[in-house]
Amino acid sequence: MSTPLQVYEPFKAGLPKLGKYWKSLWSRRTFIAEHSKSELREQHFDTAFGQFWLVINPLLLSGVYFILIVIIGGKTDTTRYVHLTGTLFLFYLVSNSLSSGVKAVTSGQRLILNTAFPRIMLPLSSVVIALFKFFPTIIVFIVIKAVVGSPFSIQMLWAIPILLITTLLALGLAITISCVNVYFRDMASFLPYMTRTLLYLSPILYEASTLKPGLRILEYVNPLFPILDSWSRALVYGQNPELSSMLAGLGWATGIFFIGTYIFLSREREFAVRL
Amino acid sequence: MSSLSVSNAHKTNEIAVSVRDVSLTYSTTIDRRPTFKTRVKALARGKKQTRVVQALTNVNLDVEYGHVLGVIGANGAGKSSLMRCIAGILPPSQGRIEVYGSVSTLLALGVGFNPSMSGRDNVYLGGLAAGMSREEINGHFDEIASFSELGDAIDAPMRTYSSGMFARLAFSVAATVRPDILIIDEALSTGDAKFKEKSLNRVKELRSDDRALILVSHAMQTLRETCNDVVWLDKGKVISRGEPNLVIDAYQEFLQVGKSAAIDEDV
Repeated sequence: MSTPLQVYEPFKAGLPKLGKYWKSLWSRRTFIAEHSKSELREQHFDTAFGQFWLVINPLLLSGVYFILIVIIGGKTDTTRYVHLTGTLFLFYLVSNSLSSGVKAVTSGQRLILNTAFPRIMLPLSSVVIALFKFFPTIIVFIVIKAVVGSPFSIQMLWAIPILLITTLLALGLAITISCVNVYFRDMASFLPYMTRTLLYLSPILYEASTLKPGLRILEYVNPLFPILDSWSRALVYGQNPELSSMLAGLGWATGIFFIGTYIFLSREREFAVRL
Repeated sequence: MSSLSVSNAHKTNEIAVSVRDVSLTYSTTIDRRPTFKTRVKALARGKKQTRVVQALTNVNLDVEYGHVLGVIGANGAGKSSLMRCIAGILPPSQGRIEVYGSVSTLLALGVGFNPSMSGRDNVYLGGLAAGMSREEINGHFDEIASFSELGDAIDAPMRTYSSGMFARLAFSVAATVRPDILIIDEALSTGDAKFKEKSLNRVKELRSDDRALILVSHAMQTLRETCNDVVWLDKGKVISRGEPNLVIDAYQEFLQVGKSAAIDEDV
């Protein structure tokens, strides 16, 4: 008799065979792309107004926060505005990944109950969507920077590795939260408060260098802190980011990604009975 | 329709699926929506949070290539659980399932569909969800469209479709996948009488020497006509297996419904 293509046996807590899992995920890359595109289209981002909204929404947001800074902080300048928009746009990449990731598994109920596929595809698709929404904001940022006369430099290329680290972090967070939401459905209701808190704990409305010494601990407990600080240094000030910040960001991102993925993969086989 | 190049050559009577001593027990939450709030409340009151469901008990089953296996049983007998185990959606809690070929499932219609998109886009979404490649869908698009008989409506958003139209397109997409092993779970009673007949004929076409079909249905007449073999499940156990007419007669006697038209007519 020939060897079986698939063998299904009871699983104990632990990971599925990773090589096979990855192969199966890779073979579904077109589906991931198409699934993400259809979600974007559902939110009308394929229309002219939808894309216009993608650009206008972050601009309005940064405008609102800028007013806040001026009212609370008094004097301000254009660099501050460039810092605000740049970091806010990157923050929204993480925040959008979380808000669409939290329901990625629970809203994929029909797919999960009726088809066998690597479940991690669902939060992965949320991050792909968040990236699609993020890219137009880079153009907006560059235009703002040019308009206010902020200098461009080669150090800005640091943005590429920083963006990669941020994407890894966003992926890790989306994977973790999508899994947690299967067991605690009210996670989706808590999430807006969590992201709002994260926003205030990150160097967006203020700059890392202006932080009071007593609050320095934020640099170590907030995974986004070193990332946003490096992002601002490279993109706003045209400086090399600090090596320690880059390493801290990378450490957080890989840590969260691996822990989240481990939890997800060891749990995903029971999602079908939990939905 | 021409077949997709998924299948390898399999000889008739070679084993396609082997289910050995499979039991499926799972714990699921009592609440429809488990939340942090209810978990804390229940902890405080010392109430149990989960209940254990024994869906299958020591099921042994072989499916051979070239055969069509019908699966019957009352609601909650474990039919769908068994199909999900064979498809790899639910891992068994005991025993072992070996699958010797590519499996495609038709457990529900329109899986992966997005109602806000057009029928055309959903052919791609549904096809990709079922494991087809974009090229394969391109090659079969016209066949899918003509089988669904939707005409120009294929370019309208699916939320504007009637439930019959939705089901017709979903079945047309699913019927294009040509795997070695096809599992169909009560997904045939779609559309009007004419389309029902058409989809039943399609299933009959799919019977071939190098393919194994597993058909879950409550439509006894269909099973009598289509299957070589029928297995009867009750409360997660195999009650009997064998020649379709014998097993179905015993099942109907058990249900004490006799051969009424109501159970024969639906596909």
